[in-house]
Amino acid sequence: MKMLPLALLVGAWQAAASAGLLPASVLPSFWEVAASLGGMLRSGEILPHTAASFGRAGAGFALGVAGGVVLGLLMARVRAVERAIEPILLLIYPVPKPALIPLFMVWLGIGDFSKIAVIALACLVPVVIAAYNGARSVDDMLIWSARARGTAQGRLLWRVVLPSALPQIAAGVRTAIAVAIIVLVSSEFISAETGLGYLIFSYGGVGADDAMLAVVIYLAVLGYALDRAYLAGLRRLMSWHAFAH
Amino acid sequence: MAAAAYLEMRGVAMRFGDGAQAVSALDSIDLSIAEHEFVTIVGPSGCGKSTLLYLVGGFLRPTAGGVYLRGRGIDKPGPDRGIVFQRYSLFPWLTVRKNIGYGLEEKGVARVERDRIVGEYVRLVHLEGFEDRYPRELSGGMQQRVALAQTLACQPDILLMDEPFGALDAQTRRILQDEVRRIWRRDTKTVLFVTHDVEEAVALGTRIVVMSARPGRIKEVVTRGFDVADGEEFEANPAFAALKLHIWRSVKEEVKAARG
Ligand SMILES: Nc1ncnc2c1ncn2[C@@H]1O[C@H](COP(=O)(O)OP(=O)(O)OP(=O)(O)O)[C@@H](O)[C@H]1O
Ligand SMILES: [Mg+2]
Repeated sequence: MKMLPLALLVGAWQAAASAGLLPASVLPSFWEVAASLGGMLRSGEILPHTAASFGRAGAGFALGVAGGVVLGLLMARVRAVERAIEPILLLIYPVPKPALIPLFMVWLGIGDFSKIAVIALACLVPVVIAAYNGARSVDDMLIWSARARGTAQGRLLWRVVLPSALPQIAAGVRTAIAVAIIVLVSSEFISAETGLGYLIFSYGGVGADDAMLAVVIYLAVLGYALDRAYLAGLRRLMSWHAFAH
Repeated sequence: MAAAAYLEMRGVAMRFGDGAQAVSALDSIDLSIAEHEFVTIVGPSGCGKSTLLYLVGGFLRPTAGGVYLRGRGIDKPGPDRGIVFQRYSLFPWLTVRKNIGYGLEEKGVARVERDRIVGEYVRLVHLEGFEDRYPRELSGGMQQRVALAQTLACQPDILLMDEPFGALDAQTRRILQDEVRRIWRRDTKTVLFVTHDVEEAVALGTRIVVMSARPGRIKEVVTRGFDVADGEEFEANPAFAALKLHIWRSVKEEVKAARG
């Protein structure tokens, strides 16, 4: 049922192409794209690119999430950190992170490091904000309760603040998953010999639109599956929290 | 010079905020409590009952005066003073078992011993079978019972209870009232118990403090001249009925004053 709008869209796309309403130069038919994707999967040629992309996105994501949680919690609890980081964060926030890729390449070279760094920065932002907001909205009563049951001031962060902030952090991390994919592909457009972004860019460059779109769809499906898996994992691991929908 | 009281509030005032927005919650509170007393506090909503408990808990500092325990100023929370909050505030990410065992874990009590003690308190509040549930899976009354067990399991010297049975049905309330009285007798604890319910105040308190409408002052302190045994049908006791009526009238006056 949830897939119905999607099925209609694909159906309309294919129907328009079959009826000759969509010239191949504008959009190849769904069938051609699907066949192209099937070919890539059968030959396995897409797999090393998937692995390369996963490595970069995964490394950047992990760094960004870890750094974001630590920074966000510290900002919420330590006044000096808050004052130092907040203006920088507000400045970075609206910058489209792919725009920073050339700069990072100057600093870190055109290899994986600059890509990972940009992905990490892009993932860091939503996670810092989530951890910061989550930690700041901790219920006073829980802090008091912990203190009255023997938790020392210094352990509050670990015992109360972090767990209280987890639901919000989890939402920030979900955003970071999508951000990682977006920035990954952008960074692979700019300079790469491997990766799904590189594939899209190079197929597009030689006018192989069906192959290009095949990779885009492959990426969309992967991203969707990741998001679903993440949500399912959260519901299991954080069953103490009532997630919306 | 008289010996210092066990728990003492001297000239305590508490204001929240400043300027035109300031709220005076408590004013000129003087109260001495001996060890092993069971003091109940009644008064109209908003008169500062919770605030008073928070001051003893060390969560807030008074804007004037001082709160002393064995002659020493209270300046921070500690496990010697356990509190059951008005809004049951369990740790949502911990199971019932872990919530009740929280204080023991912080104290470094070993796992096996901890589980044994937790088991005792689970039975006390009749939550057998719910040990592995999370707070959100429990009803309000059940959460309140977990909060009670959580506080008792820490074995505090002083029990601060902020309308702990407000969310419970009449029978459970009566059972837990008896239980708290029994624990108070057995463990020679000192209890400060806030309630809206005049009958509860008289059934539990060896002294009953009536507070005035905001800013909360102590209007009167009544010593209950008779004992209430566990499980006693105190409704049948004429002395009980008379005291209850007295307190009830006293509180009613203040509730009227609070409404203006
Ligand atoms: N953190 C705060 N900031 C500002 N005002 C506060 C704060 N805490 C309490 N107050 C005010 O102080 C007064 C006393 O509040 P308190 O919660 O102690 O009353 P209470 O007697 O416990 O009431 P209730 O019976 O409804 O629980 C109220 O007017 C309340 O609005
Ligand atoms: Mg209150």
